[in-house]
Amino acid sequence: MSLRRIWLLIWKEFTQLLRDRSMIPLIFLLPVIQLVMFGYVIGTDVKDLRTAILDLDGTPASHRVVEGFTSSGYFVAVARPVDEAGVRKTLDGNTAQVAIIIPKGFADKVRRGQATKLSVIVDGSDAKTASVAQGYAGSIVANLSSKLYPSPAAKPGVTTPVGVDARVRVLFNPTMRAVNTMVPALLAFILMLSTQNLMSQSIVKERERGTLEQLFVTPIGRAEYLIGKLLPYVAVAIIQILVVFTVGTLWFKVPFSGSVAVLGVGLGLFMITALGQGMLVSLMSRTRYQAQQAGTFLMVPSMMLSGFVFPLSSMPAVLIPLTYLIPLRYILVIVRSNFVKGSGFVALWPQFLAMIIFSIAIFGLGLSRFQKKLND
Amino acid sequence: MTEAPHTGELALDIRGLTRRFREVTAVDDVTLTIPRGEVFGLVGPDGAGKSSLIRMLATVLAPTSGDALVFGRSVVKEAHAVKPRIGYMSQAFSLYGDLTVRENLDFFAELRGVPRREMAARAERLLEFSGLTEFQKRQAQFLSGGMKQKLALAATLISEPDMLFLDEPTTGVDPVSRREFWRIIAGLHRQGITVFVATPYMDEADRCNEIAFMAQGRIILRDTPTGMKKRVPGRVVEIAVSDYRAAMPVLKRLSYVRSIEVSGEMLRTLVDCEDDGACEGEMRALLSSSGLVVEHVRPTATDLEMAFATLIPSVDLPERDDRAAGPEVPE
Repeated sequence: MSLRRIWLLIWKEFTQLLRDRSMIPLIFLLPVIQLVMFGYVIGTDVKDLRTAILDLDGTPASHRVVEGFTSSGYFVAVARPVDEAGVRKTLDGNTAQVAIIIPKGFADKVRRGQATKLSVIVDGSDAKTASVAQGYAGSIVANLSSKLYPSPAAKPGVTTPVGVDARVRVLFNPTMRAVNTMVPALLAFILMLSTQNLMSQSIVKERERGTLEQLFVTPIGRAEYLIGKLLPYVAVAIIQILVVFTVGTLWFKVPFSGSVAVLGVGLGLFMITALGQGMLVSLMSRTRYQAQQAGTFLMVPSMMLSGFVFPLSSMPAVLIPLTYLIPLRYILVIVRSNFVKGSGFVALWPQFLAMIIFSIAIFGLGLSRFQKKLND
Repeated sequence: MTEAPHTGELALDIRGLTRRFREVTAVDDVTLTIPRGEVFGLVGPDGAGKSSLIRMLATVLAPTSGDALVFGRSVVKEAHAVKPRIGYMSQAFSLYGDLTVRENLDFFAELRGVPRREMAARAERLLEFSGLTEFQKRQAQFLSGGMKQKLALAATLISEPDMLFLDEPTTGVDPVSRREFWRIIAGLHRQGITVFVATPYMDEADRCNEIAFMAQGRIILRDTPTGMKKRVPGRVVEIAVSDYRAAMPVLKRLSYVRSIEVSGEMLRTLVDCEDDGACEGEMRALLSSSGLVVEHVRPTATDLEMAFATLIPSVDLPERDDRAAGPEVPE
């Protein structure tokens, strides 16, 4: 092992990286573009929900309920049907996304301190909006009932036709800002993208051009080569993570309530996994095009089955066992919980255990295959 | 320079070297010795196994079985001792296109442990020697094909190896650069460096001290270029005639015409005849009587192309369908 040779390789890698005009913008802009894309486009916050209101009670108490909804900023009254058939019509015609029905005798029951019900009907055809609307409605009703009822014993329950439970989200992310969970997720996702793809691309490029073979006629060892190849991309990944973190917390105002240590250890383990995947990709591919295909092949299930874009809770039961095989799944729990809730090692030990197993298994496999057949 | 006593003056001692890629045998039990200081040429069709053989000798491909000693050290067990003494140039340009000429040289010099104080002097001498001094700040990808090959050669020479393995170093290079490249090799030969070169060009093979013909993974013939030509039965007669296509069936009727080759607008025939003069006269007469205008019929020197064309079919080629004309699989 010679430090001189390793340093030489690192110098070479960085020189090449800096000369590749398409590379630098890619390294710095890619995270920012993704952040903007996921932060603004996909993560658009749900507000101004078109709402139909049917107040069958018509009392000051029921007016207060209606006002509680409309003044929240999340619900905008667009229709005031006169009966339940009218409510149905507004939902069917997509005039309204949500309907609120206050039953007759609502005020009476409240005055007598009895439990009462009001119905919030959510159009479930847009699952995301539905679950968000449900969450808002839940918190508004809870807020109202504490004002309407002097004692917490009896509260009006909320019945909704959709059965998704939004309590957890509402608890920790009251504004339901998608960007608050998207930014931490992007930390992990971009880390995977750059370490796995950039590194495998650069190794395959060397093999394609024959420079790899040339290197192996020199006294350089495989371990030296590997370190010289890994370190530059580790550095690139760290820079990208810092970019996402900075833009996320400063521009998107994502609150960070976690600890750098937990985040660092988690992302570090995940990086080792991604580097292992990169090595495996580079060994499977003869050309950079193949490497790109293989990389995408790994990337798609990671995006789909990890909860990165689609929540695990909305996934068909048959696919759930598959999600346990996706390393991104565990790191997402770690970064998100740490960012939003400040969860530490104790609370997240199952995820950390999974990350340790994955990093040892995948990196180990990559390393052993790398030593054996890099140059065949 | 130290040497293992049992190999004497051998630069290369190949013993039963074999490499299989799945069911394809690229190199099949090759045994060959090459004395020090030779320029040894390896010729053969594409897919003959030349690159695989060279890659094993250069320690970048592991043999399936057999071994080869480079200056007495095994490429299998002592690759670390072989590497410092050899230089290897693969078929493709194998330097970094996005580094400059000088950066490439310095990179390989440092990697191969050239002492720092010698580095600059060596790099400058090699740049001078390969005519690249004025291009040293240019990125290697912007060099012409011939200059790229010279740079690759310079990079392999920077550690002053005793043995060079060159795999078709001039493929895709213009004739002028090719000639220049061989002038450099001749210079290395004078310095006592052993050169092992695979080439598809017969004129290049002709410049080697010895050549081996490789086909289907095996060395089929090994001789000096002159020796190869001498093996050809009969001699070559060049015929210039008004219509060479019409002349071919006419000449084929003669029993002593062994083979006919088209060379430009002329025919080159291999004639195995006891009385050359009489035979040439007969050929001329026969062509004229067939209504063709004969420009000339004259004996000419045998070249390697002719030698291989006539020698190879007569050599006992192992009949094996599974790898007939199979491409080399670099897996």
